[in-house]
Amino acid sequence: MLNVKRKISQLAFLVILGEFSFYGIFRCPFAVPYTECGSCPVIQCPGKKLWLFFWIILPISLLLFGRGFCSWACPGGLFSELLSKISLFKGKINRNTEKILSCLRYLILLASITFIFLLNNPRWAIPIRTGEFFNSIKLTFEHADTFWLIRTGCILIGFSLILIIPHFWCRYLCPTGGLLEALKKISLFKYSMTDQCNQCDTCRNVCSVDTRPNEINCTNCGDCKSTCPVEAITLKKGY
Amino acid sequence: MKNKKDTLNRRSFIKASGVALTYTLTSPLISRAAGFKNESLQAWSCGGLAEAFLPASREYELKTGCKIAYTGAFAAALGKSLLGSATTEVFAPRVLELAQTLKQAGKMLSFQPLCFTKYVLVVPKGNPAGIESIEDMAKAGVRVILTPNASAPGGKASMIILKKAGILKQVQKNAVMLGDCVQTAMGDLIKGKGDVAVMEQRLTRIPSFQNMTESIDIPEKFIPAKPVPFTIGMMKWAKNKELAEDFIKFIVSETGQSYFEKAGFIPAQSQEGERLTQKYGVIDA
Repeated sequence: MLNVKRKISQLAFLVILGEFSFYGIFRCPFAVPYTECGSCPVIQCPGKKLWLFFWIILPISLLLFGRGFCSWACPGGLFSELLSKISLFKGKINRNTEKILSCLRYLILLASITFIFLLNNPRWAIPIRTGEFFNSIKLTFEHADTFWLIRTGCILIGFSLILIIPHFWCRYLCPTGGLLEALKKISLFKYSMTDQCNQCDTCRNVCSVDTRPNEINCTNCGDCKSTCPVEAITLKKGY
Repeated sequence: MKNKKDTLNRRSFIKASGVALTYTLTSPLISRAAGFKNESLQAWSCGGLAEAFLPASREYELKTGCKIAYTGAFAAALGKSLLGSATTEVFAPRVLELAQTLKQAGKMLSFQPLCFTKYVLVVPKGNPAGIESIEDMAKAGVRVILTPNASAPGGKASMIILKKAGILKQVQKNAVMLGDCVQTAMGDLIKGKGDVAVMEQRLTRIPSFQNMTESIDIPEKFIPAKPVPFTIGMMKWAKNKELAEDFIKFIVSETGQSYFEKAGFIPAQSQEGERLTQKYGVIDA
């Protein structure tokens, strides 16, 4: 039932934020997307109306459910989840490799913060203010700076690598995910394991992110709760 | 009786002929409007014109039933694409030379003046720094927002204006922000991060900035000629030349031009527009 609720939530947020997510990757002219929407020249982007909603809902979701946004609302997370179903190396990344690769997102987060607050978030592409769907993407790529091509290329490669390692983008590269991961300890509600846990790792086996409740990269999706043979997974309240 | 019947038939014949003649004479107009229904036209323009082109195209679509596939982006970039392998049916570029180059290359069939931009000093509502003229930008303590790295019409043009006014060096010293996007700069100005900026009037009419700033005129002698005129022309790829021509006619009509005036431009079909057409030599020679 929880899984069905989550799917409905993901679909609802896909309708609300899907187009905005797409524009951020393919049409946003700025170094760091989703942050300059109020004064962005791209008229067609729904971010002009949605970005405040996005930046309000994100900290609220962090305070309530930690990384819950990633598994319940993020359109990128939904795409990642679907693609992860056919990943080649599911459950084959050891903990040390996981920790090392996870550092990449903090480097990207640091770079993003530097671009936004110290470099005034430079514009790396010529904004196609309005236009036909494919033609506008083509023109954006055609007239973009090398930095924009590298930035967008990294995002696309990050998503493509999900075919090899499940949730590659969300686990290792997403700066928003990195920010939520670093701060998720402050959340009010979180799934965690009780003392009844017998370390059978059933939860890890069903988890699409290859983790366990309240461990690195747990997105509070709750999918593992019903699979625990000793019912050791609970939604805890409190810090 | 037979004769009467013949007479009536003759009358009917004359009536019918009259109706047929009227229809024949007016049918091109009727079929022209109806003929565009379900057709589509690709129109590209300089991105700055998007706020005018979008509602104008919508009105034309409602009027004719055709679909206008409109793209608005930095004209120099679109021009570069069109000089390469890209195609469109109607193009409205900024900078007269671009229209001339496209025509010389045989890609634009003809063009005509569309509108003109106006550079102004923009200050936050209430003008807290008391700016009265362009020279005030050089006064000590005035916080100036500059966008030298923005695309040429916003970046290079504003620097030329300051240079022509003989205050570029002093103004650069007063700069509190050096941006690469005029819209971000407008947002910063409204937030009070600066006292004044040189901008195009059109930016003050964008819905998110409307009624949030005040404008002060810049003497015309300081304005560079290059980025001021916009033209509109039919491209060689126009599939339905009648439709392309009709769309251009609508855009330069009183109704079409009203959208450009509302968006902060000087329409070509106005007294001031005609003066500027002569001044800048916007002629398809």
